[in-house]
Amino acid sequence: MPRVLLIAFFVIQVLFDLGHSVTALPFVHYGMFSESFAPPDSLVVFEVSLDGRLLDAHDFRIYHWDMIQNPLVAFDRQTGSRDYAFDKERLRSGLHFIGAGSLYSLLASNLDNAPTVAERFPGWYKSYLSRLIRQPIHTLRVDKVWYRYNGVHFILLRKDPWINL
Amino acid sequence: MSYTRDKKITLIVYFLFYYAVFAFFYLDDRLLSQYQPLFFTYNRDLTELILIATGLPRWMMAHPWTFTAADTLAFGLPAVLLAYALRKGRFSPVAGIAFGLFLGAYLLLADLFWQVHHEPFILYLLLALAWMTNREERFYQILKGCRYYFLYIFTSAALWKIARGAVFNGQEMSRILLVHHSDLLSGPCTSFACRTYRYLVDHPGLSYWLYLGGAILEGCFVVGFFTRRWDRVLIVLAVVFVVADLLLMRIPYWTLLLGTITLWLGSGQKPPRSALRLREKKIIIYETTHHENLPALLDLSEAHFSEVAVFLKELSYHNLSGQGSPERRWPRTDFFVQPADCGNRRFIGQLFAFLKRHRYSHLHLSTLDNNLLVFVFRLAGAGAVHLSLTVHEVNEYFTFSFRSLRDWSESIAKLCLHRLIRHYSFFLPAMLDRFQQKLPETTLVFIPSRFYAGLHSPPLFRATQPPFTIVIPGSVDPNRRNYAEVVQTLTLFLSRDNQSRESFSAGATLPNESSFSVGATLSNESSFSAGATPLIELVILGDSRTEAGAGIIASLQSLEGERFRLRHFKGYIPETIYEQELAGAHLIWSPLNVHKKSSRNSPETYGLTTASGLTADLLLNNIPALVPDGFIIPDPFRTAILSYRSPETALAIIEGMIRDPAGYHALSEKIHLAFGWISKENFRDAFTELMETIH
Repeated sequence: MPRVLLIAFFVIQVLFDLGHSVTALPFVHYGMFSESFAPPDSLVVFEVSLDGRLLDAHDFRIYHWDMIQNPLVAFDRQTGSRDYAFDKERLRSGLHFIGAGSLYSLLASNLDNAPTVAERFPGWYKSYLSRLIRQPIHTLRVDKVWYRYNGVHFILLRKDPWINL
Repeated sequence: MSYTRDKKITLIVYFLFYYAVFAFFYLDDRLLSQYQPLFFTYNRDLTELILIATGLPRWMMAHPWTFTAADTLAFGLPAVLLAYALRKGRFSPVAGIAFGLFLGAYLLLADLFWQVHHEPFILYLLLALAWMTNREERFYQILKGCRYYFLYIFTSAALWKIARGAVFNGQEMSRILLVHHSDLLSGPCTSFACRTYRYLVDHPGLSYWLYLGGAILEGCFVVGFFTRRWDRVLIVLAVVFVVADLLLMRIPYWTLLLGTITLWLGSGQKPPRSALRLREKKIIIYETTHHENLPALLDLSEAHFSEVAVFLKELSYHNLSGQGSPERRWPRTDFFVQPADCGNRRFIGQLFAFLKRHRYSHLHLSTLDNNLLVFVFRLAGAGAVHLSLTVHEVNEYFTFSFRSLRDWSESIAKLCLHRLIRHYSFFLPAMLDRFQQKLPETTLVFIPSRFYAGLHSPPLFRATQPPFTIVIPGSVDPNRRNYAEVVQTLTLFLSRDNQSRESFSAGATLPNESSFSVGATLSNESSFSAGATPLIELVILGDSRTEAGAGIIASLQSLEGERFRLRHFKGYIPETIYEQELAGAHLIWSPLNVHKKSSRNSPETYGLTTASGLTADLLLNNIPALVPDGFIIPDPFRTAILSYRSPETALAIIEGMIRDPAGYHALSEKIHLAFGWISKENFRDAFTELMETIH
């Protein structure tokens, strides 16, 4: 029996692996940079300035820097996808397909983030950064910047002011 | 395989990793209560979608105290599980299930709120299944399953790189680095790391080879699906992968290394007892320069194994046996001598190649004082070989030092050796007890350096003609021996000699304080003190060419005269001469510094944590020996070894022997009888235990 379970586990793992755009913990995809990268047209960077000083990744531990960048990336995704409208639509059609359409309307309210996220995010982010760097922040500025690398230099393509508090 | 031990190791390693992960969450402000999320994300994970659908993430955001509760449980729940397991010696399935479910939920929430990335933590979930059972076979099934999963992580990464064509893209790594480090590279980029990334981005050919190397390294893990033989090597590869990932990609993937425990446990597993029985028993013994410790091992090995091979240095080979060639004394043993132009590592390599080619079942390391890490790597790839080691210095074997590269390598190697080697032999019983405290659940036996050479001959009675010969064996090293005490004793002897000479010939009884005293009175046969011949001859039976040696010899030479003469040696003393000198001695004096420093400066105590060559020397004859107080006299040698507290008491013992030949002869006979116990027959069981016990 344990052997059967073990084999079944790996079969499911491989199935999820093959459909690697979707996972189901504990069946995840271990690609480790396995997709063939095309030359990037542009590189998006979130530049964060606190009290007029631009933050540099080298001044932070790796995960600390991740925690400065991740909320910005996640917020960008959340707003850009209209609170993951596509994912919710796929879920709705999937449930409808298996004859559980009514379940979606029952759960719908749980699937949405609060409508005030966009409004509250800058203040929340400032407060989190303040806790993270362990000092008060008076001014916060975040720019979404697009660069292109020409093989020698990074050329600034566009700079959108994103948060200015 | 020991279920109790493996369970304990898994438990400790697992929760060390677990708490380290959460400690770093705290340090990086990633605990849910620190993050206090404002919204959740969709990460295309079905389980996460179900969790979102339950409304839990929304509810938690509406009630922020729940984040603190979740973090408290993250630290507290495993503590409950651990406390139960340690107190009761078994797991609580309820606590195990609760912990597994909670951990799964926490990881899902962490990914929803701040994108923890599940990949390295799946093994934390799978290994947690082991805390839900108390059945041995299930525990090992889970461990086995987790091992396959760990192999799968790397193997699938390699396969995807091939399947998706990434390994055929010469620009791959350059582009990955450009995208992955864009926030660093677009900045001032003044640090060494950033300039290196920039260099690799600008040199796609070079960075491609790194990518290809990574893919090959990942692919190596496929071998684990077919054999456990390379598990230790895979552990090293996993560490190399994590270090490279950190340096090149700035991804601290160390959390993944928890999986190495599944490669570690059982990889040194010996074949079942029945399989070992079926396999022809053949042993290889490795020795460096301590040839005096080989005779007993060879005697026992020849009786126990069908084939015996000894790999040793040229010097050891030529001095292995005082009488006749080693081949004559051990006719069933093959000797492989390390030529002068062959380096140690090359010679060790030859040993392991020979071991594999001829499928030797046992390997005994008679001395292991250098190249520890080389041995660890070699042993890791040696397959199912029964390993044993003679430990010369107990404290040194457990000392970890990090002052130099050699210290680092030896410390790491020792950690591995403690795990790899489960069978040990010692020259003294007291060393065994000390070792047991440090490394329990191992097979430990006492086997002397050699068996008593006078077993099959009547006791040897030395002539009582003057001089009375005292031999101090061993290199003239003031770290090991206190020669000042010898000089003081002899000075005292010479100053009292004139006064007492008359009473020697008058039939005085032995001094009461002499521990040598056997109750005999001095007889008229006494002739040690007769005439004008020097009464005492001291032989320094070791190389005295050292700087310290010259001073010691000069001090002793200054005492030479009618009643005392000195002989000493320069350079290495061949075994034949060494044994001849001992055979002609009336007394062996070992003025040891009981507390000494090991070759790597660890504190050692003679008789307790280390053995001197004295016990090997004693067994060549039935001569008494003199040692300083504090030396723990092993039981088998109790009759032969006399201890002194001061130069006065040392002199009293020596004078007692000089004055009382009959008493001296009686003592020699007692030693002969006592040493009769130190025979091959009496150590066969211990040797069998050393070579046959399976852990």
